[in-house]
Amino acid sequence: MRGETTHSVVLDPRTAPPFPEAALPILRNTQLRKNVAHATDVIQAKRARLVVEKIDWQELRSAAAAIKNEALAHLDQYLTEFATRCTAAGGHVHWAADGEEARRIIIDILRAEKAAEVIKIKTMTSAEIELNPALESAGIHAIETDLAELILQLGDDEPSHIVAPALHVNRSQVREIFARRMGRADLSDDPEALTAAARSYLRGKFLSADAAISGANFLVAETGAVTIVESEGNGRMCLTLPRTLIALAGIEKVIPRFQDLEVLLQVLARSATGERMNPYSSVWTGVIPGDGPQNFHLVLLDNGRSSILAHPTGRQTLRCIRCAACQNTCPVYRQTGGHAYGSVYGGPIGAILTPQLMHLEHAQSLPYASSLCGACYEVCPVKINIPEVLIDLRAQVVDQERTRTARAFDLMYIAMRLANGVFASAWRFRWAQRFGRLALWPFTRKDGWIHALPSLGGRWTMTRDLRGLPRQSFRDWWAMRAKEKP
Amino acid sequence: MNSPSSAQMVILDRVRAAIAGIPAEPDAHPHPGYIRRGELDRHACLELMIERLREYNADVVECMPPDLPDCIEATLRASAHRTFLAPPGLPSDWRVSGFNWKIDTHLSYAEIEACDGVVTAAFAGIADSGTIVLHHSAAEGRRVLTLLPDWHLCILRTSQVVETLPEYFDRCPQPPALATYISGPSATADIEMTRIKGVHGPRFLNVLLVHDDAPGLRSTRNGDLG
Repeated sequence: MRGETTHSVVLDPRTAPPFPEAALPILRNTQLRKNVAHATDVIQAKRARLVVEKIDWQELRSAAAAIKNEALAHLDQYLTEFATRCTAAGGHVHWAADGEEARRIIIDILRAEKAAEVIKIKTMTSAEIELNPALESAGIHAIETDLAELILQLGDDEPSHIVAPALHVNRSQVREIFARRMGRADLSDDPEALTAAARSYLRGKFLSADAAISGANFLVAETGAVTIVESEGNGRMCLTLPRTLIALAGIEKVIPRFQDLEVLLQVLARSATGERMNPYSSVWTGVIPGDGPQNFHLVLLDNGRSSILAHPTGRQTLRCIRCAACQNTCPVYRQTGGHAYGSVYGGPIGAILTPQLMHLEHAQSLPYASSLCGACYEVCPVKINIPEVLIDLRAQVVDQERTRTARAFDLMYIAMRLANGVFASAWRFRWAQRFGRLALWPFTRKDGWIHALPSLGGRWTMTRDLRGLPRQSFRDWWAMRAKEKP
Repeated sequence: MNSPSSAQMVILDRVRAAIAGIPAEPDAHPHPGYIRRGELDRHACLELMIERLREYNADVVECMPPDLPDCIEATLRASAHRTFLAPPGLPSDWRVSGFNWKIDTHLSYAEIEACDGVVTAAFAGIADSGTIVLHHSAAEGRRVLTLLPDWHLCILRTSQVVETLPEYFDRCPQPPALATYISGPSATADIEMTRIKGVHGPRFLNVLLVHDDAPGLRSTRNGDLG
């Protein structure tokens, strides 16, 4: 069973196989598909119920999009303002151009603090920069405290969802992981018992840890405050108990005003977990004398974000508040789960975010991992037009392929050039149809359908059937009809 | 290797180059359209607050100001706990006799962990989501007080209850440096989306709603007076 859950995934877009290749073994894993379908069904139903009750939902979406747009349009000012205020409140603000720089800054802080162990709140940004392996090789043991992240860490697994990263694992799999790694052979697979096991496993670590690492949901430029939303209380533990706190945040997390939270908190909770408000939200500003960590560092991470900002169509990707509503609703994600996307950001948002973060040098297959049905756009609380960005990225991928020197030998390229010539003239098109009817005839079955084609055509028939060409084209029929008429 | 300030220059330069082409749009603030003010009357607003709190299993009791100490005593007694934490600014008549009180003057984590529960005031209540807002004043206590103990009694005055989240923001002309929003006890749904109450934060939340502005108790249905 274990081998089935943890098919030794490493989510690095630089080395990940293309999406169709990565998805195939997962599609055969019925247990995983059952787990993903169940979890996404439950979240979707909860979300739908609470969105319907909110009569100003569309206005809230528009306001949330406008707030994020405003923040992005003046990002330099708001970042500077945030850094100034956070510093004035006793925080240390660091800037990291890429993942490597961020890892180095964090490791340097922890070494200066002589911290051998660090507790962590779930942060996808830290997974994006592969922080945990870097910490381990620096001799610092990272302990994930979010229940889902703990399941993944103890099970040597990777996140498959932005909000519920272990939704591909079921209770008996969790029981097996906990029993093995916590030495608790007595554990039952009752979620309540498993949660209690996590609570007692982590309790001592919360109280003894010197340092914590968190992400951030929002950075407030006006005040220099940081906001984190969560459900379990592990976040509050990490934000309150250790001496040192390091928050890692993408530069797109900044919002102009404290009051903007009145919109963003409402749309985030409903979209992410189907709650009116998530159980715990924390806001803190720098260092609060006598309360919580007296040593606060904030790392502002670029890592490709500024290049996304430069692109007129792709820019809207940075409005994302990481609610995962697009994942839950996506007909592709719901079949494959997150691992097939080869990145910690799976689903529709991952299909547009990951290739852009990689400057389209990797993950070029992801913009195609979509049927363009638009369900993601419909549910997005900040109105990111994901299909629009997907199509734009597909165009960029094709442009990129076109400039490759090897194109003279590329079958697809040659086929497209030929098609270009054929569609450019009526008589060539007519002759191509006649030729096509002849060429396809051997592959057309009695039912009038083509089930398998060789070579390039096989890429189509691999996943769907093709209707055979009719005996007579419309144009031929039309011409004959004219002749027959008196 | 970049010094921190040079990374800052690099990032800000990239950002400025990136946004140079963005057409100027009117600022998003204020955003028209969404609901900022609720439409319920006081009575219905308080009803909603109580309903939402009970939805996530918080225990809610209502009382009039003169009865507050008696109500606190009844609630503490019903908890069957003995030792309670008090933030330094908690009114002294709220520390009712018959229990062990630990007043938080630089208590250690171990001392806090050893207490059964905590009694605090609150900054606001938001009816729409059943949210308790703490700004961590002297009567609300530092964050750790309402985090480690498993049992929390929060005294909320009806004059502090607003209907919508935006109405709460209207009550913060000066944004707080520190705030915690509690909307239900600690919970997780990470295992098969089964909601489990009580992961790391307090598992038991009790709210004592004191009618300090309303004409009187809404009703004493279900023996709310306790």
